[in-house]
Amino acid sequence: MAATREAHRLARPRSARVWRKKAVGAPGRSLFLFAVPSLLVLSSVLVYPLGYALYLSLFDYYLASPDRTFIGLGNYTELLSESRFWWSMLNTVIIAGTAVATEFILGFALALCLFRLTWSPKTFMVLNFLPHIITPVVGALFLRWIFVSRWGLLDATLASLGIFPPDWLGDPWMAKVTVIVADAWKFTPFMMLVLYAGLQSMDKNLLEAAVIDGASGWSMIWYIILPTLRPLILFVLAIRLMDAFRFFDSIYVLTGGGPGTATETITMYTYQLGFKLLEIGKASALGVLTLLFVSAMIGGIIFMLYRRERGAF
Amino acid sequence: MEARARTQFLLFLALLVYTAFNLVPIIWAGLTSIKHPVDAFTIPPTIFFKPTFQYHYEIWVEKRFWTYLVNSLIISGAVVLISVPIGTLAAYALSRSRTRHTRSILFGLLTIRMFPQILLALPFFIMGGYLNLIDSYLIMILAIVAINQPFTIWLMRSFLVDVPIELDEAARIDGCNNWQVFWKVILPVVRPGLVVTALFSLLLSYNEFLFALVLTGSQTKTLPVAIAEYGAEDISYWSLSAAGAVGIMLPIALFMLLVQRHLVRGLTFGAVKG
Repeated sequence: MAATREAHRLARPRSARVWRKKAVGAPGRSLFLFAVPSLLVLSSVLVYPLGYALYLSLFDYYLASPDRTFIGLGNYTELLSESRFWWSMLNTVIIAGTAVATEFILGFALALCLFRLTWSPKTFMVLNFLPHIITPVVGALFLRWIFVSRWGLLDATLASLGIFPPDWLGDPWMAKVTVIVADAWKFTPFMMLVLYAGLQSMDKNLLEAAVIDGASGWSMIWYIILPTLRPLILFVLAIRLMDAFRFFDSIYVLTGGGPGTATETITMYTYQLGFKLLEIGKASALGVLTLLFVSAMIGGIIFMLYRRERGAF
Repeated sequence: MEARARTQFLLFLALLVYTAFNLVPIIWAGLTSIKHPVDAFTIPPTIFFKPTFQYHYEIWVEKRFWTYLVNSLIISGAVVLISVPIGTLAAYALSRSRTRHTRSILFGLLTIRMFPQILLALPFFIMGGYLNLIDSYLIMILAIVAINQPFTIWLMRSFLVDVPIELDEAARIDGCNNWQVFWKVILPVVRPGLVVTALFSLLLSYNEFLFALVLTGSQTKTLPVAIAEYGAEDISYWSLSAAGAVGIMLPIALFMLLVQRHLVRGLTFGAVKG
């Protein structure tokens, strides 16, 4: 399958494309010189700042006061013992989980529709893709103008039908739903596009054989399409989940984490701590915790992908 | 045949309805931006109205949004000019060698791409404060290069591994050294890939919000930050901020038409070749 060839190639320890040592036309060691500029830049603007953040996370560092005191893991224990941290964690998991599940189901259904459609699937794809590719802040504003109370398109429409609308952005639970809808609006097209690409790269003979064997709609999806696309599905779910954990732009514009802290995700909380409350040390510690959490998740997913690699199919 | 045509028709209809529904927020904003407030807030929405581009003019010229556009372009342009060349070089090395290290470097880069960016924003903010670089182009450019680099390398590498390795070998047998192989043989072949990578890199920097929010000030504010400040204002500015938002969106719509064929690859940093 073309779609996951890359993942396969990476997971395979030794590839046929390795040059035999001393073969004619081999590039030699100097090839690594090509990577030097990039590695230099990466280490100075990425690795060094991250190390610095790690260092800062060990200090009680309030930006408005000049001195900072070393407190070891104090910030971490403080965070782990406060409920706001756990709530932001829970919010992130709820929002990311629900949003990604919705996006996957909807995106998969759309991909199947597009795959079956013979006339102008391309046009639909491009049109539906617009919400995904526009600047996240702008997209969130567009949605805000739909959901904002009283004057938003949704409220105004409902009111004209005589229905009393809920407070989409002001009610703690409704705000969560709205934020999930916003994420789904933005990322369903992504799922659709990737899964559609996967469907197109499927072996046509396989599908035809299944039809001849009498497979109909559901059994076709369940027994043929889903198993074939499994590596790709795992891959997109992994990317989406990891991205969803950094969810910031839309929440910032739509609810700002509110009402109260109802839609406050980890990133939003870190932003509040670092740039509003100026608790740099604590915010860094929170960032490190997020990193650990996301890394554990990535590790789990890579492990799953890797195990599949040796599996039967 | 009859049944098939009907299925096709129903599918088409379903997709049409979904698409229309999906695009409502964008269309609504577009309409708001060319309506006078009198027309903007009536339900059902007025279909016949006198369009006005007064708000577009007002926000981009009088409210000086063009300066934010200039800031955005300076920053994104510089990011592309730094990130793409060095990223391409690294991608070439990573596409032509395949040892244990290569693989760990690639996975490492992927992990960096998935970083909580706020963890990077904090030290940049503090160091920027020490070095007096907050609200300067330099720090924004460096920050975005940092988060852009893994993406550039992965995407560019996906184009480079498509170039058969025999091409390198042939060139080398003809007496080219590594640099000549890269510069004279490989680079011309992957030029389309280079353009796509540059465009995606441009898009990512243009859309970047978190770093811009933290690191820019009145001198270097980029479009996303400017519009986020505006959009939160009260209702009377609505047409104005809608005009700004729609204006920011237009180049991206153009971008999408340009890279249509490469959307899947670009958005999955080259891992899925659509």
